[in-house]
Amino acid sequence: MEGFYGTLLSSVLALIGSFLIGAVVAVFRMTSVKGLRWFGAVYVEFIRNIPLLLVVYIFYYGPSALGFTLDGFKAGTIGLAVYTSAFIAEAIRAGIMAVPKGQMEAARSSGLSYIQTMLHIILPQAIKLVIPPLGNQFINLIKNSSVLTLVAGLDLMYFADGISTETYRTFDTYIFVAVFYLVLTLPLSYGVRIWERRLQRKY
Amino acid sequence: MIDFHQVDKHYGQFHVLKGIDLHVQEGEVVVVVGPSGSGKSTMLRCINRLETITSGGLTVDGITVNERKTDINTLRKEIGMVFQHFNLYPHKKVIDNITLAPVKVLGLSKAEAEKTAMYYLEKVGIADKAESYPSQLSGGQQQRVAIARGLAMKPKIMLFDEPTSALDPEMVGEVLDVMRALAREGMTMVVVTHEMGFAREVADRVIFMDQGQIVEEAEPEAFFASPKEERTRTFLSRVLSH
Repeated sequence: MEGFYGTLLSSVLALIGSFLIGAVVAVFRMTSVKGLRWFGAVYVEFIRNIPLLLVVYIFYYGPSALGFTLDGFKAGTIGLAVYTSAFIAEAIRAGIMAVPKGQMEAARSSGLSYIQTMLHIILPQAIKLVIPPLGNQFINLIKNSSVLTLVAGLDLMYFADGISTETYRTFDTYIFVAVFYLVLTLPLSYGVRIWERRLQRKY
Repeated sequence: MIDFHQVDKHYGQFHVLKGIDLHVQEGEVVVVVGPSGSGKSTMLRCINRLETITSGGLTVDGITVNERKTDINTLRKEIGMVFQHFNLYPHKKVIDNITLAPVKVLGLSKAEAEKTAMYYLEKVGIADKAESYPSQLSGGQQQRVAIARGLAMKPKIMLFDEPTSALDPEMVGEVLDVMRALAREGMTMVVVTHEMGFAREVADRVIFMDQGQIVEEAEPEAFFASPKEERTRTFLSRVLSH
């Protein structure tokens, strides 16, 4: 049960973290400031193209090289957030780019500022397009949180490994763990679908 | 009201506008015609800086458009624009499409803005659609909403960028009627269009553009009856013969 909370807490924190980082990086990738755009592109390509486990190891073993330490839970959660943020940044960017250019032109030509246009016109339309891929990313995130086990992150899998070696009831234990993951992911996936349908219906 | 002085614009290597000189008086209706790709829409879009100019001078209501210290949002308040593809906000009801800018830019109260919006919806003949979403409207109705949206800012100038080109033929009339009424009330209008009938009937002046240049400008009667330039004659014979 402790592992369930570990997974839940890590997933929720990483979810919030990855969304915030992802949103900022998405904005970076679309500004007219060249340096930020470059940074955003490098961030996404770098993070997206290395394995998650490696990202987590960087946060687990990296700090000790700099003279401080992160425990497995913290390193794992940060790694998870950073890793997922690259995918989320791309999803958000794709959503914003998919809003027709005429929307920006119509709003700006009526005297609205760039920020006002983003807030009232572009983002509300982009969100509809972004929800399905975002939902997928969040489900992946929960499942990916099992890598915390490898840095002793006190998650579901970590405790499951312990229990299975103690009791030798390996198969039973992991079936049980799978059910726990489903308890987290199924409602999320269902919730995303409902939200999507509600937005779809509005206009 | 609008003054182009030797305006040039390049898209990379492509010379879109070449030495444009154009002066639009207050209350004047100028209709711009010409083949596709002649630069008419680009010229129109320079007026509210949806496109920037490469060189030359452009002032609107005495304000230099392309200058760092010009607050473009202040200038744009005075210039309404209607697009070929309407560009209504699909996630907002008709009434909210119209009140957004008056509330956010002019600082009107929601109630005031709605009153103004209803006045203009009445005027374009679709007050009953205020609570609908744009997707529930026909093309002609959407374009009339777009015109009402522009007018609700009480602009000094209205720009029309091929407002009837995306419409089914039977809906063109209802949009042109609204524009005709607007012209009669003395609105300053610049209209890019392929509707020669509208140009002939409503324009104070017709401009013919080809390959980024203003080839000819004249009052509609003279323009259609006795065009001076060869290129104008060729163009008119093509569009009027069918």
